Amino acid sequence: MRGILGQLVEQESQLTVVDMEASIEHMSRGTPRYTDVLLIVTEPYYRSLETAGRIAALAQELGIPQMYVVANKVRGARDEEALRQYCTERGLALVAVLPFDEAVLEADESRVPILDADPESAYVRLVKQLLEKLPVEVVKQAH
Amino acid sequence: MKIAIVGKGGSGKTTLAATLSRLFAWRGFSVLAIDSDPNPNLGVALGVSEQALAALRPLPHSILEQRTNASGSTEVVGLAEPIETIASEYGVTTADGVKLLMNVQLEHAGKG
Repeated sequence: MRGILGQLVEQESQLTVVDMEASIEHMSRGTPRYTDVLLIVTEPYYRSLETAGRIAALAQELGIPQMYVVANKVRGARDEEALRQYCTERGLALVAVLPFDEAVLEADESRVPILDADPESAYVRLVKQLLEKLPVEVVKQAH
Repeated sequence: MKIAIVGKGGSGKTTLAATLSRLFAWRGFSVLAIDSDPNPNLGVALGVSEQALAALRPLPHSILEQRTNASGSTEVVGLAEPIETIASEYGVTTADGVKLLMNVQLEHAGKG
């Protein structure tokens, strides 16, 4: 990973999106060292949040310029409150709160991307909002 | 701009990676999506058919240009070929124009 990502020179309006391995041991190997933005996806449960917190701490050590927490499968105000509190306590930037969305589950089961299965879903709407918040200048200029 | 998406298994990171990749491509970005999960699912999440995914090949070490430095250890100095060539040789391009690469094998290459 360090290999290709470290050697990749991007032109303007080029973007690289890496779906990284789930476990955090790889983080300490320096895999994401060459990333500009790290998105840490977490569910609103204690264990998931703890993992997110550990990843964030490692990312900080590695000097990743920007990192954001994306909460996913959030079921209600209580979930949201708990994860907001967690992020505030740890100084983590919560950039998006994505809902628990049946449409995503159904799309997954039928192996159809949610963007095709239900482009008007709450999930897709909120991912579009997330995209606007990412520090990608050309995207912002386009709007 | 390189965006890495991490999280516990089942957190939905692959769905997010795929959705973001396609939305960026729709906005005119040239998007390279790299599946670095040992259980690669990004292709399906991007809407690539199983049949088309069969063309996806793990990246070999030979895509990296290496040389031995003065102290005798090997260092990576660049890509052996332009990324476009690598993408067409080992990757799959989706209907949205997202170039997908599978990078699982390379995971150990840059170690040390």
